[in-house]
Amino acid sequence: MLDYGLLKRQIDQMAVDASTLQDDFFARIDLACSEMDRWEDAWETLGIKIARSRTSWLVAQLGGPITEACPKPSRPKELTVIAADGSQIFPDRHEVANCFLINIGYVVIHYGTGERPVLNSEPTLFYDEDDLYQEWAGKRSPITREVVGVRRNAMELEKVVTLSALAHTEGRTCVGLTDGTLILWMLEGKPYDFRRETLQATLAGLERLRELRVPIAGYISDPGSADVLNALRVGLCPEQPPNCDKCPWKAAEAQHLLDLDGDSEPPAPIPCEPIAGVTDDMLYARRLKRGERSGVYRSASKILEDYGPHRICFFYVHTGWEIGRVEIPEWVAKDRELLDLVHTTVVDQVDKGRGYPVVLSESHERAIVRGADRDIFFKFLKDAFVKNNIKTEQSLKQLKKMAAAV
Amino acid sequence: MALSSIDISTEYIGEIVESSTSQFTSESRELNGAPPFGSFVKTLGALPVYGLVFNVCTHSIEPNRRATAYGLTEQELREEQPQIFELLKTEFEAVIIGYGNDHGPQQVLPPQPPGIHSFVFPCTESEIKALTNSGDFLRSILCGNRLPADDLIIASVRNAWAARASDMPYLVSIGKDLCRLIRDDYDRLSSIMRRISQ
Repeated sequence: MLDYGLLKRQIDQMAVDASTLQDDFFARIDLACSEMDRWEDAWETLGIKIARSRTSWLVAQLGGPITEACPKPSRPKELTVIAADGSQIFPDRHEVANCFLINIGYVVIHYGTGERPVLNSEPTLFYDEDDLYQEWAGKRSPITREVVGVRRNAMELEKVVTLSALAHTEGRTCVGLTDGTLILWMLEGKPYDFRRETLQATLAGLERLRELRVPIAGYISDPGSADVLNALRVGLCPEQPPNCDKCPWKAAEAQHLLDLDGDSEPPAPIPCEPIAGVTDDMLYARRLKRGERSGVYRSASKILEDYGPHRICFFYVHTGWEIGRVEIPEWVAKDRELLDLVHTTVVDQVDKGRGYPVVLSESHERAIVRGADRDIFFKFLKDAFVKNNIKTEQSLKQLKKMAAAV
Repeated sequence: MALSSIDISTEYIGEIVESSTSQFTSESRELNGAPPFGSFVKTLGALPVYGLVFNVCTHSIEPNRRATAYGLTEQELREEQPQIFELLKTEFEAVIIGYGNDHGPQQVLPPQPPGIHSFVFPCTESEIKALTNSGDFLRSILCGNRLPADDLIIASVRNAWAARASDMPYLVSIGKDLCRLIRDDYDRLSSIMRRISQ
């Protein structure tokens, strides 16, 4: 229950603070843009500086001029776009039975042919001991929501791979799209065997697409990433090579803060700080025209060291509605024909979906498990248990939620 | 027509999704493929039920998603936005005007409404003739709730007339039935009569 009175005052204050910050931000974006122009010709020098730097943030690895902007190529008249999205009912120990459900929604839309699209969903129920408990690094524990999420991601990718392969055998030009990142960063710091198992499944799917030369891309709406901006921050750093761990300006600032008397000289501002806080989409909103994409960058996520030829690259694209981030495996990035196909498909999809790729929104619509579906799922479960004379029990907590007394 | 002589998988035009003693609603098998307004339809079963289509509508299959304008022709939509045709459905409503038993079509309401998910078929000419051999079906229309009665009379009489190869004596006899039914409203009657014969 929310106390609206107390909340409203905080929201008002938040709006005041945000408007003050906004003015400062425009100046930062201007500066970031001029920094970008400064490196237009010397991008290789910046690339070398980035390669030698050690930063505490993710920095885009350059593959061409940082100011690059490519117009949208024309779309093949006949094109098949494939996407899958998933949702789940998490395991809930307060419910009648210990199990979980993953529902994969998928769509295959053929453009330019007038054929009927495939819009479908496939639920899978997991109830085996092996599904509900997992043993990683010698430790057995109940499956967590995070692991269900990883499993769901793997199933989404598998579906896109299967459908893309099928479309390819039918001789179609096709593109697979997934919702969100292709970088499994959530595996960083996870038990080694879990990480290996998940990566193997994902990379096997990507390998199959590479063999078939069917491009796949992850679309990220409203990306908050700042990889390119961070490259410009490296460019601003006077250190050779930049190393955030040994940043003399940060050290001076820390020293100043430790000075309890407060009579020491204020430290010099950190050189990379004036553009900090700006994100890549803010930057590219100034740089790209409708339909254009940025150059292709390599992501520096640590997990990608295990991706081999599928190392994830990305570009930003002005869809006409927003700056979106598109992630692709390196073999797509290096194949100009596939790269162009992904670029034009993404812009066309967002245009058709009026702001968001239509295949992704439709697969989401197919995947989604709403509250009413969840209730019916548990009703089916309970009925099936009762019919088969299996004792079922809901926890008192669950019963209380259903009928809270006054 | 006996059930066995119909290829259900290819000939049905709709499937009942809502049913009551006096009306039923069917989902059309094809988008925009509903039978015409005023046409005679039937369901098959132990007791076939006969109805008259009085409303056709096409809308989104999901209540929280509305159709929006795209500014494209149907051909362009089929090529560039093909998914929308999977997200729309056509439904038609029919008023029940009779049911069938061993003696053929009876112009009274059925003892039970047609079953949900029953298939709907167009009536044959002989069934239309049997259902419209007297003006009793006109009374069902005039007594029905929320029906566009005048237009439904016009469309159904024209269909009944067409089933009789535009036989003039039939039209005259129906005209006499209408005179009896709407004798207290001359303007309405003359408007209906004029439009039937247009």
